[in-house]
Amino acid sequence: MNERMLRAASALVLAAALDGCAGLGVAAWDRDVLARDDMQLTPDPVEAALDEHIYFSKEASSGGRGFGGGGCGCN
Amino acid sequence: MRAAHLVENSGERERRVDLSPTVEGGWCGRFFAMGSPCEVLVECTSGSEAFDLVGLAATEAWRIEDKYSRYLGGNIVARINSAAGEPVEVDEETSRLLGFAATLHSLSGGRFDITSGALRRVWRFDTGSLVPAHDRVRAVLSLVGWHRATWQPPVLVIPAGMEIDLGGIGKEYAVDRAVACLRDVSEYACLVNFGGDLAVTRVPQRRKAWHVGIESLRGVRQSPEKLIRLEAGALATSGDTRRFVLSEGQRFGHILDPRTGWPVRGAPASVTVAADSCIQAGTLCTLAMLEGDGAEHFLRRHAGKFWVTREES
Amino acid sequence: MTKQHGSGLSATLATATCTLLGTAAANAVLAEEADDWDFDTALLYYGESDGRVQDASLNVLANRQFTDDRSLSLGLTVDALTGATPNGAIRIGEAQTFTRPSGNAAYDIAPGGLPLDDTFLDTRYALTAGWKQPLGRLNTFGVGVSASSEYDYTHAGFNTQFARDFNDRNTTLSAALAIARDEIDPVGGTPLELSPMLDVGDLSNRRGAESKEVVDVVFGLTQVISRNTLVQVNYSWSDASGYLTDPYKVLSVVDPETGVTLPRAVTPEVVGPSHAFLYEGRPEERSKQSLYGQVRHYMNGKVLDVSYRYMTDDWDIDSHTVDTHLRWPVGTASYLEPHLRFYAQTEASFYSPSLPAGIPIPAFASSDYRLGRFQALTAGVKYGWRMRGDHEMSVRLEWYQQRGDVPADMLVGGQSAADVYPDLDAVIAQFSYRF
Repeated sequence: MNERMLRAASALVLAAALDGCAGLGVAAWDRDVLARDDMQLTPDPVEAALDEHIYFSKEASSGGRGFGGGGCGCN
Repeated sequence: MRAAHLVENSGERERRVDLSPTVEGGWCGRFFAMGSPCEVLVECTSGSEAFDLVGLAATEAWRIEDKYSRYLGGNIVARINSAAGEPVEVDEETSRLLGFAATLHSLSGGRFDITSGALRRVWRFDTGSLVPAHDRVRAVLSLVGWHRATWQPPVLVIPAGMEIDLGGIGKEYAVDRAVACLRDVSEYACLVNFGGDLAVTRVPQRRKAWHVGIESLRGVRQSPEKLIRLEAGALATSGDTRRFVLSEGQRFGHILDPRTGWPVRGAPASVTVAADSCIQAGTLCTLAMLEGDGAEHFLRRHAGKFWVTREES
Repeated sequence: MTKQHGSGLSATLATATCTLLGTAAANAVLAEEADDWDFDTALLYYGESDGRVQDASLNVLANRQFTDDRSLSLGLTVDALTGATPNGAIRIGEAQTFTRPSGNAAYDIAPGGLPLDDTFLDTRYALTAGWKQPLGRLNTFGVGVSASSEYDYTHAGFNTQFARDFNDRNTTLSAALAIARDEIDPVGGTPLELSPMLDVGDLSNRRGAESKEVVDVVFGLTQVISRNTLVQVNYSWSDASGYLTDPYKVLSVVDPETGVTLPRAVTPEVVGPSHAFLYEGRPEERSKQSLYGQVRHYMNGKVLDVSYRYMTDDWDIDSHTVDTHLRWPVGTASYLEPHLRFYAQTEASFYSPSLPAGIPIPAFASSDYRLGRFQALTAGVKYGWRMRGDHEMSVRLEWYQQRGDVPADMLVGGQSAADVYPDLDAVIAQFSYRF
């Protein structure tokens, strides 16, 4: 997959997702499960940041989930 | 769950108290009453003492449920509702409750009305229900209105076909009664929570405040649950918004205005109020909901701490 | 209320309650929104096998909630790094000598040993600060800054985010931007790209400090699928420009027939590299894009999290990451969470495990294993438990391994993949405490 394809694919995914999103979901009073601590998308932000730092130092990819707090001169 | 003890068996639903220790070193007793899960937290080390206290609160809750539930036959409410226009003499406790309801009726300009139960006959809030026709609502409205009742304590006369329902204040009243019972017999800090309406006997020694979480309705934004530190007093939450009727894309909430027979427009999704007693908190909640769009304005004028959540589109 | 004005209503209500309950309320209500500090602390140990990198770090994240959903977060990280890291040269049957990055000394590698540079004893300090608040009823806005410092590297960055809810708060769209400027001041100076490693004391091919700028943009969509399921999809774009080379890494110049590193003429009484090594050089620009999807699903007390990320950049690197966690409740107050992560990447266009002599020196070349083709696997488990006062502790232990996948046509002469790619095995251990 080259870059142009990725850009197009992303735009399509997001557009389709947003269009399909209207009407999808639950009513406010059914959000009890989603409000749980362990249902947060990043339940442990410190751990996520530590892992991101490790993998940023050892691999060529980084981020995706959001972005980290900073770079480093990691070896 | 460490211990489960049978307290009594009242047929329909087994009445029992389940006691388990909390991570704070206290005890939590759970039982079911008045259609809600109930819990009593006791800050004490002895399990048996905690159990006795929870049992006391549960017994009081079941007593009030048996006496005032409209689902159980043979109690004072059933007698009043089947009196067919005849006068009914009520006991001292019921007299106080009816007096409170009467005061609230005039205080709220008729919005708070314990005779509004008849509206249930035309408004059913299951999903898929239809909005009733105007003349059906008008017809049942003739059977609604505390002003049609004659209240000369201790005698109550309501016209045939009308009925009273104390469900609107029953739970909060039970919380306050349970707290009073516990305070009479024990120095321990207790929190009585009947389905989200709660009050405390005193401030806990260890943590200096009871921590109550109001489930955040901020969708998927990952914002933490609102935490309230309660040292004294009560919290009540209204807004069981499970129930509504959808018609032509318009959602009709389930808070009915007894003066018109129709749902209140613009009622918030949920209201939580802190007040000295649970009855006060619950009343302010209900009155705020009945104000619809003006809920926040009403609470700013008449209540102390409050939290209003509205559904967003 | 049209009937009563002012607090007449609350006074009347209080009196009515008194009459109903038969007593006045024992105490006036005391209720406050708790706006304490929340702390999230962690101690991490990362250790690679074979005397390679070891890292210990202390992390603290402090969060303060203010009324109306506004919050401030402050983070501090202190990181101590020791151990040796591959310098990019290949393993050969003879002993090798390298000049240290400082240019002041040299170090030897035994025959058959993986060339590792143990210069890196370093402590890094990093700070982050962020502010988040609602903007109207449906929007959230945030800003933040970050800074870090170690002896040869400093970073300063700014970030901002915006999010908006739709669809009865079932859908959230977000956009985030981060810009950073980093400065590198390598020990001994920045070596000229693709120039030879010189003798001890010879800093003629070095220059001063360098810098790079990075811009990151992320667009995200979060969607509630059902009462138990949440999905997030992110698209990110990142552009780095400036000095992107690793100043401490070299490539071995090898004999095109045998694949063995060419020896270097060594002057007696002069200490210097034993073989021919060239400092690596990377392009001055890198543009990355990635597409990320995550699903979080609750089923009967257990929570399953699966995510996938595809990344591609203009250095020709493509990567896939599949990450899964399963949180399993144990009793009422603790949980077990196994974790499995699979990662695969393809090599950069200018990646070359070694440089055969005789061909023109390419514009860009690097043998850094982190730009090579490899697969990596992380497997571990975490155990967490809740304590009194809503405090929570957890421990986790994980194994991380990388296995090189060097394309056969990149091997020169008699080289084997094991010679030219330093596989990695590491352990990750963490203890955290939230209060």
